[in-house]
Amino acid sequence: EEALLPAPQNISILSTNMKHFLTWSPVTNQGETVRYSVEFQGEYERVYANGSWIPISECSLITATVCNITEDISATVAYNLRVRAALGARRSEWGTLKGFFNRNTTSLTPPVMKVIADGYHLLVELEDMGPAFQFRVRYWRKGKERRMQQKVVKEVSSVVHLDTMEARAEYCVKAQSYVEAINRSSSFSQTQCVRAQGDTSMWL
Amino acid sequence: TAGNKILHFGACRVSMSMTEIRAGFTAIKANIQARDPIRTLSILSYPHSLHKVNASDRCCITRHLFDFYVDKVFKHCKTEDSYVNRKISSIANSFLSTKRKLGQCHEQNQCVCGQESTEKFKQILANYEGLNVTSAAMKSLGELDILLDWME
Repeated sequence: EEALLPAPQNISILSTNMKHFLTWSPVTNQGETVRYSVEFQGEYERVYANGSWIPISECSLITATVCNITEDISATVAYNLRVRAALGARRSEWGTLKGFFNRNTTSLTPPVMKVIADGYHLLVELEDMGPAFQFRVRYWRKGKERRMQQKVVKEVSSVVHLDTMEARAEYCVKAQSYVEAINRSSSFSQTQCVRAQGDTSMWL
Repeated sequence: TAGNKILHFGACRVSMSMTEIRAGFTAIKANIQARDPIRTLSILSYPHSLHKVNASDRCCITRHLFDFYVDKVFKHCKTEDSYVNRKISSIANSFLSTKRKLGQCHEQNQCVCGQESTEKFKQILANYEGLNVTSAAMKSLGELDILLDWME
């Protein structure tokens, strides 16, 4: 009788900035191509739908050992995840993620940011991190940290106007990302400082 | 952004990922409504629209409706279509998350039920139980935008 296919091991989640991936170690079998299928179970399924599991069609009989589960982890509740191997008609047992996964544990990074001095205008360009993200941008005139100001950016447009600067003064900016759905923020980015243009007197 | 909505019912404040729920529903709305042959009946809007509910009763009727969808509706909406099932799961788990928060408000007496919401919800249950369970569940799911519009 053919040996049972071993269940996938080392099943884990990689979750950064609300993008969630399930990964596992490959199952080897004399060099043959092993395929994998992934299923998920939200708290609703566990509590109200007899513990039913839902297949992720994009990760059905795949050869990769990673599955993007972002679209299915779309509520802030505890999810179970499992994966099994397949070789021809043979199926392994399910390997299940140890513990639950809740998207509120995703790791959040500060946004990539570019600060621009456009004449006397202090502008900032922010990375588009996806629809779940807002940003808190703090800015101040160098040396006057106590008069720091803050702007909340809900929609990432191309450039955000922060302030009008005084001639030749230096201004500094830092930003953090915020996800309302899980009510968490990243740390602040590195501070970036720029200098406003000098005076260009009208009566030269 | 992901359009979290903060529901304000007096002291009760509940945040809910409205945009995610709407996106999930919009993706399957046509499929679900096509499974509802009875076009002349409504679960949520018969005989009166939700819009007629008093402001003071809004929290209670909202809580009842989230309980209704989580406890009664979603489990009877399984389809042969894996994509539709995944979207229903997404909505159901978001509803579960919000249902819990509304339940906490209720426990803290911030979501009191008046006569009107009790009557209105009884009517909704009567509409629901007037059909066979699968038809009633599919019709209720197909009317989700009525609930979401009213909440917004």
